[in-house]
Amino acid sequence: MYIPEDLQDLLQYLDTHQTGIHLIANGSDLINRIQRRQVDPQVLVDLSGLSEFNYVRKESNTIRVGALTTISDLTISPAIDSRHEVFREVAAKFGGPSIINVATVGGNICAASSSEDLLPVLLVLDAQVRLRSKYGERVMRLEDFLRGKRVTDLKPNEILVETMFQEIDAQSACTFEKFGMRNSLIIAFVNSAVYLRLDKVTRRVDEIRVAFNRVAGKVPERAKRTERKLRGKILNGIVVKDAVSTLRNELRLSSDFRVSGEYRTEVACTLFRRALSRCVERLVEEKIIV
Amino acid sequence: MQSHERLLDVLRDRLGLKGTKEGCSTGDCGICAVLMDGKLVNSCLIFAIQARNKKIVTIEGIGTAEKLHPIQRAFMKWNASQCGYCIPAMILAAKDLLDKNPNPSDDDIKMATSGILCRCTGYLKIVEAVKTAADEMRK
Amino acid sequence: MVDDQAAVEKLRQSRQLLVVGKSVERVDSIDKVLGKPIYTMDIVPENALYLKVVRSKFPHALLKRVDVSEARKYLGVAAVVTAQDIPGINESTALLPDKPLLASDRVRFAGEPIAAIASYDPSIAEEAVDLVKIEYESLPAVFSPVDAMKPDALKIHENGNIAKHLKLRKGNVQEGFKQADLIVEGTYKSQFQEPVPLEPEAGFVIPEPDGSVTCVGSIQSPFHVQTGIAKILSLHPDQVRVIQAATGGAFGPKSDEIPVDVLGMAALVAVKTRKPAALAYTREESMIGHTKRHPFVTTLKAGVKKNGKLTAWEATLLADTGAYASLGPLVAIRACFHATGPYVIPHVKTDAYCVYTNNTMAGSFRGFGGPQAHFAAESHIDEIAKKLGMDPLDFRLLNILRPGALTATSQVVDEACGLEESINKAVKESDWYRKREQFSKMNGTKRRGLGIAIMYHGNSLGPEGNDYAAVHMQIEKDGLVRFRTGLTEYGTGAPSGLIQIAAETMHLPMNYFKLEPPDTDHCSDTGPTVASRTITIGGRATQMVAGKLHQTLKEIAAEMLECAAGEVESADAKYYSKSNLERAVSYVEVIEWAYRHGVPLKEAGTFTAPKCEYDPETSQGTTYLQYTYGAVTAEVEVDTETGRVQVIKMVTAYDVGKAINPLSLEGQIEGGTVQGLGYSIMEELIHKDGVVVNPNLADYYIPTSLDIPEIKTIVVEYPGNLGPYGAKAIGEPPIVLPAPAIVNAIDNAIGVRLNQIPATPDRVLMGFKKKIAANKRA
Repeated sequence: MYIPEDLQDLLQYLDTHQTGIHLIANGSDLINRIQRRQVDPQVLVDLSGLSEFNYVRKESNTIRVGALTTISDLTISPAIDSRHEVFREVAAKFGGPSIINVATVGGNICAASSSEDLLPVLLVLDAQVRLRSKYGERVMRLEDFLRGKRVTDLKPNEILVETMFQEIDAQSACTFEKFGMRNSLIIAFVNSAVYLRLDKVTRRVDEIRVAFNRVAGKVPERAKRTERKLRGKILNGIVVKDAVSTLRNELRLSSDFRVSGEYRTEVACTLFRRALSRCVERLVEEKIIV
Repeated sequence: MQSHERLLDVLRDRLGLKGTKEGCSTGDCGICAVLMDGKLVNSCLIFAIQARNKKIVTIEGIGTAEKLHPIQRAFMKWNASQCGYCIPAMILAAKDLLDKNPNPSDDDIKMATSGILCRCTGYLKIVEAVKTAADEMRK
Repeated sequence: MVDDQAAVEKLRQSRQLLVVGKSVERVDSIDKVLGKPIYTMDIVPENALYLKVVRSKFPHALLKRVDVSEARKYLGVAAVVTAQDIPGINESTALLPDKPLLASDRVRFAGEPIAAIASYDPSIAEEAVDLVKIEYESLPAVFSPVDAMKPDALKIHENGNIAKHLKLRKGNVQEGFKQADLIVEGTYKSQFQEPVPLEPEAGFVIPEPDGSVTCVGSIQSPFHVQTGIAKILSLHPDQVRVIQAATGGAFGPKSDEIPVDVLGMAALVAVKTRKPAALAYTREESMIGHTKRHPFVTTLKAGVKKNGKLTAWEATLLADTGAYASLGPLVAIRACFHATGPYVIPHVKTDAYCVYTNNTMAGSFRGFGGPQAHFAAESHIDEIAKKLGMDPLDFRLLNILRPGALTATSQVVDEACGLEESINKAVKESDWYRKREQFSKMNGTKRRGLGIAIMYHGNSLGPEGNDYAAVHMQIEKDGLVRFRTGLTEYGTGAPSGLIQIAAETMHLPMNYFKLEPPDTDHCSDTGPTVASRTITIGGRATQMVAGKLHQTLKEIAAEMLECAAGEVESADAKYYSKSNLERAVSYVEVIEWAYRHGVPLKEAGTFTAPKCEYDPETSQGTTYLQYTYGAVTAEVEVDTETGRVQVIKMVTAYDVGKAINPLSLEGQIEGGTVQGLGYSIMEELIHKDGVVVNPNLADYYIPTSLDIPEIKTIVVEYPGNLGPYGAKAIGEPPIVLPAPAIVNAIDNAIGVRLNQIPATPDRVLMGFKKKIAANKRA
């Protein structure tokens, strides 16, 4: 295991040794895979000492979260106010204190898998990620950074240093729903995040973003066709029903030994309706009939 | 110490602290939980090297036969320990909770222990024990 | 001098129980809350070798070749053992001689042990597993009892695929059906439930210089293990010492052949290398390798009159016992005898089959056939009530067993029958009629329902074997009473209950006693710790032995007090003469006197329960010595958009005969109830073509602290004739009723009868949608 002394040291190391390396923030994902003999890493680079990446800051309308911020720290940060309740919703269903105390935002993002609950939320917040190497920085959209199951755009000499998104303001709301077989320690069958920007007077959908742990592939994604069905429309029961129809067709969820793709789709649609409903409630304090 | 060694292995095999148990090796049961810098963590999911310079508290550090911690006394009073295998983790989770929230509700207690599986008790007496411990500790 | 003579005399006259019936602290708690190193893997000797097991990849195959030569040569490997290395008999079984310790010519389930590799470094042993070359010739495999019973199915075992067929014949069912106004049929399916003891199987063996072996492990039945290891090593049982270490949960699998598997493999290595050898199963191995609950397919046909009286009951139960029978035949027996539920039915015909398949093994697991039988019976009772247009509670009360009635085995129900009181109390606490009325009006997304299920549980081994237990007690010079038995503690709290009984019998404080770890060197054969028999049978043995010791102490006191032995009374560690309360001697003085005069303070004894006699062809007769009864209600909330079921509240009422420790009893009931809840809605060990696809705790769901309902426990006491103070078995019953109660509650909530458990969200939703579609068409 290689323990870098500081950021410069780390970036230099990564630049020189570009292969066979696994970066770990806290290692829980990796330890699991080592135990299951799915991976046998040559070198582990321990990032946990770089405490400068544990922060949640609000700068004008942007919230910046350091990659080594734990889920637990995220929920108690003062920058995560009541409008950002969605992060506490994610944490509450994460799996208990011992999991959230250790899981990091950066770890979640780089794992790039459908079991990372934070990803659908960050996707609907249209988050960006900042990557740094010895040679400088680059910023890209999280959506583009996630290339496939366990595949990101992270170059061998780069690390993820932070994720940023526009704060949720008074006209918008963001919610998260998760479904599993029990109430804790759940690897989600389905989860859903919805971001809604609503004109409170006309009920027009100024912006909507919807994401799930899976849509058509194996990583969290946004359901853009469904979004298009809602964007700009006046929100009512019929419009939502129509959008759910579209969603049903947009989702391509597979079956596994446990449940059928049909059932997952059914649940995904229900979670979408519920998440959307709660967004609306938060903004206009009334229920729409969905 | 090898770089792939887990904190759990170092505690049990190198330091001889057998109180921390292994239940599943995949981080799904919470039986191996310890307190690291005052936070509850699953020791089977932490590389030992990453625990460097951190304060680790295991069950052995909670109390002794001569001086039991109120949480331990409460567990005994309620016969909350049946087979005993989840108890070290449950006690540490309780300590973690009570250090931060001295007057927890039943729901708070259930949430705090939600990452630790118990097969024997059905959790109810564990919740009672933590409540009693909280009352004791507030005095 | 006695302090408060009047009080003592009063006590003697009232004979109030001092410690039995009180919620005293368990004697084993302190070591557990301190995290003391008392479990098997905490105490493995320093220089031990660690084993890794090589397991079959196929569910059914001939082993053409097993080549361990490369593995043996691998650097760091101390030994590799196969069937060829077994000095004695290659057998590790629970009942039928059908299972080898290590497969030699054939494997019958995916995961069956073939060889074991030992090294000081477990990771080296694991690497060497890949070096074992095995040539398989695949055989056709069957994965369901129905397929296994087909005439052209390949025989998994020589004597065919039906390991056991039980028959119960009472009266004449055809007559019974003729008398019925209505006949109701149904088929019910239940799944493999995985016990998930939180400590996976573990054991180590130390080879002793005199050629004997010492085995330490996570086990329920030390004497069964002793016999098994002796056979494998070709030793006399006296040369095999078995000690039970603290055991982190068991629930059944650690009583069958699995501890013999674990210790057997370790013993082979220990004997070969002359070094201690340890084997700890990973969670995955544990879930694949140990026994789990038998899946059942139960077909029921019931006849009932218009007035609600049951006339006939025909049941066919198919149990999938997996590749090896384990205690499957006995599970089938219990299920067969309880297949009607606790009702008066004049004509009964039950056929229970224990069938081999190439799935992993099913065997002992808390409930032992009771949960499966009651899930089917109690679901069916609700259906019959529905068809009659009767409230399910009223229908039950019309037909339940009451004193004087005959069970399905024609056993007369005695006065110790608390079934009705349990039902009435449970129903009252659940606010049955009002809530069901209220719930019937709900039509939103979330709907509530209230369901009931009732049971009976024949106590102890009954037809399953000889029921006996041994206890040894010895008083040390300082007054410490050493208590030894082969009955094991693995979470039940029952051995601690035995200390309560001993303390009560001898009028001594509980802290005078020390419960020693079960050790075959220091106790006589006590049989297995199963079937909830520790308090009942072990308790009687305790009373017997403690009683003898107490008598000895009284006789010594009589000498010291210079009175007749019959004159001596005792209370609170003192002995005094009835006719002269002024004089007394203390316990300590009596012990001292005994040691000075060479009077042995040692007693041992075995209590054997009367045998159960019944006709094996018809199962009519005395099948059990007493029965535990229970009634459970469940209030659920069903999310009709996702099918997710939340259990809100459960009321669990049991007739326990006598609660030895009410607090521990509640803990056992709550624990069993939550296990039953898991069985009903979330637990399912899934095989795909014989391979377990979810052998881990991420994909096999047991309830967490956030899944538990409010549980209200009601204890009813109708003392039985078997246990101490009338105690009845209560370790297993709590896991039996949650499933039918919850499934009945779901039916009450959304009008959907789930014939299959677990009632997972997808099954519930599918049922609900079908019903809506059917309603639309109607």
